[in-house]
Amino acid sequence: MVMNPSRAVVILVTAGAVCLPLGILFYQSVLSGPFFHADSHFTLDAFGFVLRDPEFWVALRNSLLVATGMLVVALPLGALLALLVARTDIPGRGVLEPLILVPILVSPVVLALGYVVAAGPVGFYTVWSKQLFGVAPWNIYSPVAIAVIGGLSHVPYVFLYVSTALKGVGSDVEEAARTTGAGPLRVALDVNLPLVAPALMFSAVLVFFAGVEMFGLALVLGNSNNFSMLAVYLYKLTTRLGVPAYHLMATVAVLIVLLTFPLVMLQRHYLKVADKFVTVRGKAARQRPLTLGAWRYPALMLALAWLAVTVIVPISGITLRAFVTYWGPNVNLFDVLTLDQFRFVFSEPVLVRGIRNSVLIGVVGGGLAVACYAAIAFAAHRRNDEWTHLMDYLILVPRAIPGLLAGLAFLWVFLFISPLAPLRATLFSIWLAYTVVWLPYGARLVSSSLVQVGKELEEAAVSIGATRRRAMFDVTLPLIRVGLLTSWLLVFLMFEREYSTGVYLLTSGTEVIGALLVTLSETGSMNQVAALAVINLVLIGIGVITAFRFGVRLHG
Amino acid sequence: MKWYSAMIATGLALMPASAFSAFPDYYPPDYQAIVDAATAEGKVVLYAPLSTTTLRPLIEGFQAEYPGITVELNDLNTVVIYNRFISEAAGGAQSADVLWSSALDLQAKLVTDGHSLDYASPESAHLPDWAVWQGKGAYGTTFEPMIFAYNKDALKPEQVPQTHADIARLITENLDTFSGRIASYNIETAGLGFFAITQDSKIFPEFWTLARALGAASSRFYSSTGEMIESIASGENVFGYNQPSHASSYGRDNPSLGIVFPQDYLVIASRMAFVTAKAQNPNAGKLFLDYMLSQRGQQIIDGMGFHSLRDDVTGPMTREDLTKTYGDRLKPPVMGPGLLEFLDQDKRLEFLNTWKSSLSAGQ
Repeated sequence: MVMNPSRAVVILVTAGAVCLPLGILFYQSVLSGPFFHADSHFTLDAFGFVLRDPEFWVALRNSLLVATGMLVVALPLGALLALLVARTDIPGRGVLEPLILVPILVSPVVLALGYVVAAGPVGFYTVWSKQLFGVAPWNIYSPVAIAVIGGLSHVPYVFLYVSTALKGVGSDVEEAARTTGAGPLRVALDVNLPLVAPALMFSAVLVFFAGVEMFGLALVLGNSNNFSMLAVYLYKLTTRLGVPAYHLMATVAVLIVLLTFPLVMLQRHYLKVADKFVTVRGKAARQRPLTLGAWRYPALMLALAWLAVTVIVPISGITLRAFVTYWGPNVNLFDVLTLDQFRFVFSEPVLVRGIRNSVLIGVVGGGLAVACYAAIAFAAHRRNDEWTHLMDYLILVPRAIPGLLAGLAFLWVFLFISPLAPLRATLFSIWLAYTVVWLPYGARLVSSSLVQVGKELEEAAVSIGATRRRAMFDVTLPLIRVGLLTSWLLVFLMFEREYSTGVYLLTSGTEVIGALLVTLSETGSMNQVAALAVINLVLIGIGVITAFRFGVRLHG
Repeated sequence: MKWYSAMIATGLALMPASAFSAFPDYYPPDYQAIVDAATAEGKVVLYAPLSTTTLRPLIEGFQAEYPGITVELNDLNTVVIYNRFISEAAGGAQSADVLWSSALDLQAKLVTDGHSLDYASPESAHLPDWAVWQGKGAYGTTFEPMIFAYNKDALKPEQVPQTHADIARLITENLDTFSGRIASYNIETAGLGFFAITQDSKIFPEFWTLARALGAASSRFYSSTGEMIESIASGENVFGYNQPSHASSYGRDNPSLGIVFPQDYLVIASRMAFVTAKAQNPNAGKLFLDYMLSQRGQQIIDGMGFHSLRDDVTGPMTREDLTKTYGDRLKPPVMGPGLLEFLDQDKRLEFLNTWKSSLSAGQ
């Protein structure tokens, strides 16, 4: 069969966007020095160095442990919350839904700083707990805490993929089970769970990758206590040998990519049976929420407990910090309350520019990215050839590469691939890097809506003479428009707080808030970091509320 | 059209010259030619690990003097500055006109690799000898002592180390107070921390005793200056070894944060600046470099908390003040090939290994 030309273009462009930076990294990993130096030659020394370095193995072990821990925390909790909010009559559904998104809005570094202020050894809650109960039985710097915080903060991603999948589940299947006497739990386990298995599988792989790639939390909570993880090991490699050792950094990236192969294979294996999960059929199926009965309030308590630990603790920490000049166990907070930090931040022209750029890259760039993700999802849709297999892998692999290194690879792409060179100093380069790095999240958001549209709907259109393209635009796209709008909102959020990928491409005039936050915390005072983080949260919150006002819903 | 734009450029160039009448008398007579050329270039691109907020006074001062030239600051961390600059240089792409960074070893590497423009600033004669890298056009621009910080609520006055030797002694005497609550830079990730520690290892004979004591106290090592200082101010940690001098400016706002200038000696850090060899705006770059080193520029830099290295600048803790107290116990970094010492891979790894094994030997 001759490949449809637009599909070929999509596959080619995707392959190019993913493989160019990746290719440079692979090439760099087998050289003795920077690939752009004439005296660099082919060698496998870098692999020898890394594989013989005991610190690499410690970091690898820690990363795998933390990633597994995150999985154990995030997967069941995210799936359960999705089920509760999407499919049951849990009280306050409408309020819970946007709240669950909040952790996505907060960059990991800010989240970690929030936990330090709130629940660190002298944090507000720790001190209060000691005053009230005499103890504060937690240590946010322990490896377990890092895995739990990482897991809790990834609950929203699992929630999203699973709730998008659940959105399509007609009440008929659930009711069928209920009529035979099954309780809510049984329905959830035996009906809903198998239906969302592909979404769960994908979330699992993503959360695991996020754990392997984790940097911000690992650096703030782990590194000062000598707990190393892969991305921190990579970060250390830049200074450990004095001059940044690109061949070693690239080698670590290549090893991480190799590590991800079996995971993607496993995922692939599960998705082979994707057709089993078609839920949007030619026949209308109305959705009615499951009644929880006596379980309503316990379910609400669970959701609120998660919100308290994941959202309220760190965000109240960083917010409190933004309104005081200093803090500590002996400081009466009322004596040091101030608005100065906000006045200061608002007097900054750079900040105004940062806000404008952030909104531009989030709203416009996010929209464009979703268009690309949709094209990619369609190219892989309802086809099970080797090209689709290739796409499955291409889509996942960018997330496995730590952001800072991905950013450096993109700088090289724009410097050394001459047709792209003129675009380097424009927002396009940043947009492309963001789009590729968030490809696994975005493409999956779109395709999880797509996979639920029964093929008989398209076939119906084709049978009355529509072309496949026509069927796509007139039948499939309208059916997934909620999914597309939701994806846009979420991609906006991810772009809004992204930083590390853009660091090598940002220039004067293209500052974004994420960047200002990180550089301020490296060199400056936490007063400004906290105030800026709070302002950023408020802005993003306004964006989310606006989106919801305009009818964006996570499920219909 | 050419004559037209040239006239505008000349007009703009003449304005500042007439407004400030003249340059200091030791400037070369043809300096106005650089100003004219710089004004024609219209901008200077600067890479520095400093936020616009911090740098604003300097940028405003420069632009008041040369209104036709804008300063484009790229606020990047020191490693990013290096990576980005060498990549851009290799790709023949547009890059920085001036590199200004506290990572002295990386800056020195760029200079010895031929990336600096050999520009003899007319201000050279007014700088201390160590701040001028002769024949390379690279200059130290600040005078930033490495200091101690402590939490006033957590330590009794007699528990606060005043010298480097005090640290190990007081840790041993008060292990419970200090254990798990000493902060310093992570020398594997923070270039400034590595620099300060290697200087200590050369100056302070009992350095490895100190390292073992830091290990015995399960010290915590940070990558980010902000987090590190905050942890001492809040009382999460009680003592900070090798803190950057601008920690003292936080001490002014925060009554819990105490600052100690070690009495035995002061390691001085500095920020090295140079115009890049292939700068697109070399004249504007020279002008900015000269301004940073000039008396007016240094007065502003001193106000930013980085301390001036000139004699004719007044302010708290200038080099002159500290020289009166410390004499030759000030240890400034000599801008020169000596800065490359620990870029030698084997030497660096050996130092790091000794450091780590000393830390764990103390435990």
